[in-house]
Amino acid sequence: MRMKTNIQREPKHSELVSCVGWTTPEELFSGADDHLVLKWNLNSNETTTLVKLPDDVFPTDMHWFPKAAGGGKKAVSDLFVLTSTDGKFHLVNKTGRVEKSVEAHKGAVLAGRWSFDGSAFVTAGEDGAVKIWSRSGMLRSTLTQNSMSVYGVAWGPDSDSVLFTNGKQLVIKSMQANAKPTMWRAHEGVVLVVDWNPVNNLIISGGEDCRYKVWDTYGRVMYNSFQHDYPITSLAWTPDGELFAVGSFNTLRLCDQAGWSYSLEKPNTGSLFKLAWSSDGTQVAGAGGNGQVLIAHVIEKRLEWKNFEATVTGGKQIHVRNVINDAVESLEFRDRIIKLSLEFNHLVVATSTQCYIYSVKNWNTPMIFDLKEGNVSLILQSEKHFLLVDNAGIYVFSYDGRLVCSPRYTGMRADILNYQTVSISNDTIAIRDKANEKVVYVFDAQNGKPLGDGKPITHKLDVMEIALDQCGPATERRLAIIDKNRDLYLTPVRVFGTERKSYKLGNMIQSLAWNDASNMLSALADGKFTVWYYPNTIYVDRDLATKTIFEKEASEFGKNPQLLQFNGNHVIIRRAEGSIVSTSISPHPCILHSYVYSGRWNDAVRLCRFVKDEVLWSCLAAMSAYAKELNTAEIAYAAIKEAEKVQFIVNIKDIPVKEARNAEMALLCGSQQDAEAILLQAGLIFRAIMLNIQLYNWDRALELAVKHKTHVDTVLGYRQKYLTRFEKKENNKRYLQYMEGIEVDWEKIEAKMEMEYQKERERPTVTSTAGSAKPRQSRQETTK
Amino acid sequence: MADEALARAGLHFDELNKIRVLEPETQQQTLELKEECKDFVDKIGDFQKIVGTFIEVVDNVSKEVEKEKMKAIGSRNLLKSIAKQRESQQQQLQALTSEKKMQLERLRIQYEALLKEEREQKEFIEQFTLQK
Repeated sequence: MRMKTNIQREPKHSELVSCVGWTTPEELFSGADDHLVLKWNLNSNETTTLVKLPDDVFPTDMHWFPKAAGGGKKAVSDLFVLTSTDGKFHLVNKTGRVEKSVEAHKGAVLAGRWSFDGSAFVTAGEDGAVKIWSRSGMLRSTLTQNSMSVYGVAWGPDSDSVLFTNGKQLVIKSMQANAKPTMWRAHEGVVLVVDWNPVNNLIISGGEDCRYKVWDTYGRVMYNSFQHDYPITSLAWTPDGELFAVGSFNTLRLCDQAGWSYSLEKPNTGSLFKLAWSSDGTQVAGAGGNGQVLIAHVIEKRLEWKNFEATVTGGKQIHVRNVINDAVESLEFRDRIIKLSLEFNHLVVATSTQCYIYSVKNWNTPMIFDLKEGNVSLILQSEKHFLLVDNAGIYVFSYDGRLVCSPRYTGMRADILNYQTVSISNDTIAIRDKANEKVVYVFDAQNGKPLGDGKPITHKLDVMEIALDQCGPATERRLAIIDKNRDLYLTPVRVFGTERKSYKLGNMIQSLAWNDASNMLSALADGKFTVWYYPNTIYVDRDLATKTIFEKEASEFGKNPQLLQFNGNHVIIRRAEGSIVSTSISPHPCILHSYVYSGRWNDAVRLCRFVKDEVLWSCLAAMSAYAKELNTAEIAYAAIKEAEKVQFIVNIKDIPVKEARNAEMALLCGSQQDAEAILLQAGLIFRAIMLNIQLYNWDRALELAVKHKTHVDTVLGYRQKYLTRFEKKENNKRYLQYMEGIEVDWEKIEAKMEMEYQKERERPTVTSTAGSAKPRQSRQETTK
Repeated sequence: MADEALARAGLHFDELNKIRVLEPETQQQTLELKEECKDFVDKIGDFQKIVGTFIEVVDNVSKEVEKEKMKAIGSRNLLKSIAKQRESQQQQLQALTSEKKMQLERLRIQYEALLKEEREQKEFIEQFTLQK
């Protein structure tokens, strides 16, 4: 990826340009020391003078009212704040009329920024003050007063805190009066510029020590650049937070959000005093110290997927190369390309007005549909459909260009969604809430309605990253969650009646990725690369959970690597310095998954026998146990030498009733409540009672017996046996109460039990291949 | 006698017997002097002319010299600034090359990873075929 820079032959400004600002991606404004504010029309390449400022007004900063916040009120969005060296700020409207000039600071006002919701703006001055102003320009508060000039300010993502420079320090101060500010020493020299991205919540700063740095909100340094030749004079995040631009003397650098630089340009502009991205994040404007206004486009973005390679070669052109046969396709577009995504056999391209969908099989006839708002900020793909996110909302489209649905919830902020906070699979969409970061909303991808009872998934901590698995039936959809402590949890998306059970899979997770073809989960954690071959294992057999994991040293990937893709048995990782590294895992688990999906258990067993790997056997054991495929489970458990489980399964196989078998399988998986629920639902009261007796769950056993008025004596009998064996005295009040009225006669009890088993055996022949109609029939019988 | 008398009165006769106030010799000399003076004046005039053109030429030369001098100073300064320019250009190019180097390094790492993966896969295929 690199920048294509564009400067005029002769500078349009006669003096130093101090500020730039975009309204639409075609319209740019620049203010300079020659007292002019120029308007640049990029379509017609015309420059007109918007306003001639008085001779004593030298502009320092310009910021347009955020469009996303304007909503219906169009008039407000055509306004910008212009700060100047005479200590004033000016509210100027689009026609160039200065609506208001307010005395704000002693000495020059150095920066002025609108909050993201547009309800307020902040100014910082040479006098060291940071002041908050209402939309109409009334002073709300003086946030802070420092002894040093404040060179840069930025709003926090929720517009409830402000980041500003203070000498060599950076300070984050909340709007709340008594909150303690976070401050840290950021640079060796004076910090000149800062920016804070609302989408990824990262901070960038640059200073006179000629370095730029990336920070998280706790002041931990994520990236520290090498020393440049000149001080860093400007910085700016793209709106989606994936890139940022750094400006210095005759220098423009394009960097990844991780900090490493994609490219360097050396335009002849003098120092770049301000940088501003257009709202679609494809163009950046720079204010040059020699009167030049620089306009740069991001080009040569490259995507790879399997054997295809797509490169944006120009503003309106994409080259797609098939690496296998070296066939190159050149795709032309009418408008500027804003976003593209290449996955699941489809290339989706969003331009400023339309969306193009190409199938990798046919590059000639794309599906095309018009976009309502040409500002797509995110494209996410799944096998059957894809998700478009723009400022206004989230839309799910099928690959034939049909709008499937548009999920929303109250308080949704689509403009700040990114790859970490939204996830899509064939049947489900998950979105992390912004107002309460513990909450994840889940929607049905077919109709956009909230899943289940409409209640979102609530995690106990703030959720940082979510990811849905891509394969298997919708009912078994799992959501992987990374929380604030970087712990990885797995939780079912669709729950019926029972409580949501989320289990912790690992901790210190840096990044994760689901496989695209089978439900394998990979993660980079604590210096290790881990693959959960069958993450579902924790719902089946927790003992196997550690055995179905593949682990590998991640030292070859350097510090802080990032997982990009997990396709088939191929893993793509990006190292911290930006290089892409690929590695592979064994192909066997993938094959095993495909056998299991198609129900070819014999083939699966044969595969495991061929590979002779305990991990693979463990996976098969868990898979077959989950699918209640007893024969396979028996073989698999035998192969990993879990004798007691084999024994248990053999016993289960002898049970004639299907529900009872299911209940026993649930017990094998360690979920007693499920087992009991299955039995009770099937009317197998006796088995439910026996289950509780075997678990020494005496109260529940008696409760069931009394409730259904059967086998009270059986329960009492077993209780007595238990007491005598452990030489204990009865001290349970309920048992004492029932002991009085009922006599325990073991002959009678045994006869009754035998009768129960007899009854089960007499049910219509229910073999392991019992159809769906039979259990219902048998249930009716038992209730008789 | 008459001559003497006339001479006393300050009158003389020349050869042509014209009456004269000056003595014929003096007259002669005066005339010669006059001639000589005239010659002298002419010569001086010539000299002045010659000197004038000379000065003009010299002036032109001096102007040329001045111009050349300025040129020389200019080019000397230019030379100095070119050295600086080169320096800054060099700096820019160095920055660009170091950037390219970083990119190259990234690609090298990627290439090596791919080679490694290829090796692993070949190994796997070999094992796989041997097992059968």
